[in-house]
Amino acid sequence: MEIIIYGIINSIILSLMALGFTLVYSIARVPNFAHGALYITTGYITWILLNKLTGFPYPLAIAIAICVTAVIGALIYRFILIRVRGMEISEIIATYAIGLAILEGLRWGGLRGGTFTLPPFISGSVQLFGVSVDYQRLLIVGIGIVTFACLYLFTHFNRVGLALRGIAQDERAAMMLGIDSDMTAIVSLAIGSGLAGFAAILLLPLGNIIVEVGYNVLIFAIAVCVIGGLGSWGGTILASFIIGFAQILTEAFLSTHYQMVVALFAIIITLLIKPSGIFGKQKELEERV
Amino acid sequence: MKKLIYFSIGIIVVLFCAPIATFAQEKPIVIGAPLATAFLYGWDAERGIKLAADEINTAGGVNVAGKKRLLKIEVIDTRDLEPGVPVADALLAVEKLILEKKADFIVGGPVRSEAALAAMDLLSKHKKISILTTGVLTPAYSKRIAENYGKYKYCFRNSSEVPPMMGDFMALLEDLHKTKGFNKAYIMVQDVAHARAGGEYMKKALSEKKWEVVDMKIYPTGTTDYSQGLIDSGKKGAQILFLWMDMPESAALLQQWSNMKLKSLPMGFMNAAEQPGFWKATGGKGEYMIVNLVNGGNAPAKITPWTMKFVEAYKKKWGLEPEGYGTSSSYMAVYQLKDAIERAKTTESDAVIAALESQDFMGVYGRMRFDKKTHQIIHSWDPKEGAVTGMIQWQAGKRVQIFPPKVAEGKILLPPWMK
Repeated sequence: MEIIIYGIINSIILSLMALGFTLVYSIARVPNFAHGALYITTGYITWILLNKLTGFPYPLAIAIAICVTAVIGALIYRFILIRVRGMEISEIIATYAIGLAILEGLRWGGLRGGTFTLPPFISGSVQLFGVSVDYQRLLIVGIGIVTFACLYLFTHFNRVGLALRGIAQDERAAMMLGIDSDMTAIVSLAIGSGLAGFAAILLLPLGNIIVEVGYNVLIFAIAVCVIGGLGSWGGTILASFIIGFAQILTEAFLSTHYQMVVALFAIIITLLIKPSGIFGKQKELEERV
Repeated sequence: MKKLIYFSIGIIVVLFCAPIATFAQEKPIVIGAPLATAFLYGWDAERGIKLAADEINTAGGVNVAGKKRLLKIEVIDTRDLEPGVPVADALLAVEKLILEKKADFIVGGPVRSEAALAAMDLLSKHKKISILTTGVLTPAYSKRIAENYGKYKYCFRNSSEVPPMMGDFMALLEDLHKTKGFNKAYIMVQDVAHARAGGEYMKKALSEKKWEVVDMKIYPTGTTDYSQGLIDSGKKGAQILFLWMDMPESAALLQQWSNMKLKSLPMGFMNAAEQPGFWKATGGKGEYMIVNLVNGGNAPAKITPWTMKFVEAYKKKWGLEPEGYGTSSSYMAVYQLKDAIERAKTTESDAVIAALESQDFMGVYGRMRFDKKTHQIIHSWDPKEGAVTGMIQWQAGKRVQIFPPKVAEGKILLPPWMK
């Protein structure tokens, strides 16, 4: 039973990590390699608000941190990515450089050691079918499912969301209908960065706010997106469950220290068998292979 | 008029001579500190070294054959604890300290074992005395000195190493075996060389003492979910969780352990649990964790008369208690050098080596004596005989020294759900 429970938790955690990355790629076609850095930035801003300003309310700190991260994402597009848009290598280099600068800048600025943490929303644990699970993990599952549902509703029933999907499906046709491509990309970067921040707020109470986590989150986000198919929402969720359960099964039946290898091995297998990922739409890549 | 001219000349002479006298002050002794400054074992060592240097300089400096020389600290970031940074980078940092910063002595790191071992040849080549104070726990360091004394006589280590640390753990576990009847241990270590080796060593040592090691799990760096291992340890009835991890994320392990209310006592070598801020960071979930801080004085304790003086001075200068492994030893190394230089009456390497080898005084964490063959600080459970460890348990927000018995200030407490 613990394999099923922790498998689901791990899968939801992975999909939350990858959600923002997928959204940005699916709409703006920008592989945002600063994703992990934005994740950590949100955690650090929240920590500063909570620890440097006495009595600052936790929910307000969270809201401010997510908004700041979303603005940073929008600014990254408006002032940097707009100039290299369409040149994928340049986009990768630019976003990776921004991420590196943010993460190492945070380290240089004092984000070092194991004392930077966020408090869980609810402390303690509960027995679920005989398995001890802490409340924070249960909340992650619940909030994660609600987030997926909200994103679905937003992109299917909201004008902005429909515009985002329009651009994602056919940029030229969408532009002919009056949808501003750059503005849509700015919005997608803002939402994607905000989602990275939202994931950070949910997941960081399980561990620490450290620079290395930013790099790990990026690796997992890429692994999930490559396996699921870049830009595919369904693929992201399915890949999260594949990797999530594979990691738990590896830990239970093989050895704990292969956990990280599982994700990387899955990328290699996917690239060998179906390079565009499970639900990938890059048919030309398959044809080329 | 003549009087006025002589008076003016006199004034000018006085005015010019004052700065000349200042300029003529003795050349400072440069101490190079190669440290991974972005990590606990680097920055706490830096703070310890700077505190000692400030104290010595305020008291007039080091008396070298009647001339007072101030200490100048040159810190360089070796980055050797960062993943993916090659050993060569740390060596370049050490060489830069020697060649560019003109370091007379090296104190501190390199912090990673591989880098420190590789730096031994460099120190030998430049005939620079080094006192290793942080990070490196491998017995290979002292072994190499003993095997090739002529070449590596410049290298000293005033911090503990793995064999005595394991001896400390085993003594503590044997005590728990006798008093509480514990006999089942579960080992959880990080997937890095020193932690895997530490885990294997403990597995072997425990098995030899009739303990049952029910399992050993190795976790990749960055792991934040230990649920499967912890659930497994509970199912197998482990009473001791032996941990060896130096990643900050390991604090999550203790949070999960506390949430699950597992009937096991966590202990080991855990970087995250060393710092004073650990309590707040875990919201108190790390209570009852037993941590080996390697050397005494890395947390408040009354080991020698100097220990609490050091703790108070550190708090005054840096605004917090000594932070963990590397603090007291780095502080002490500067005083050890001062003592050796003053007795040698020179900064010349061979004379200072002889003085360090014959050194014997009461320091922050016990009697400071180097083994003449291995240049390893002599370890003991009695501060009157040698350097003692800093084994603490987190109790009600404080790090309480619980071992060795001669300097223990509290008894081991078990979590209420274990009783």
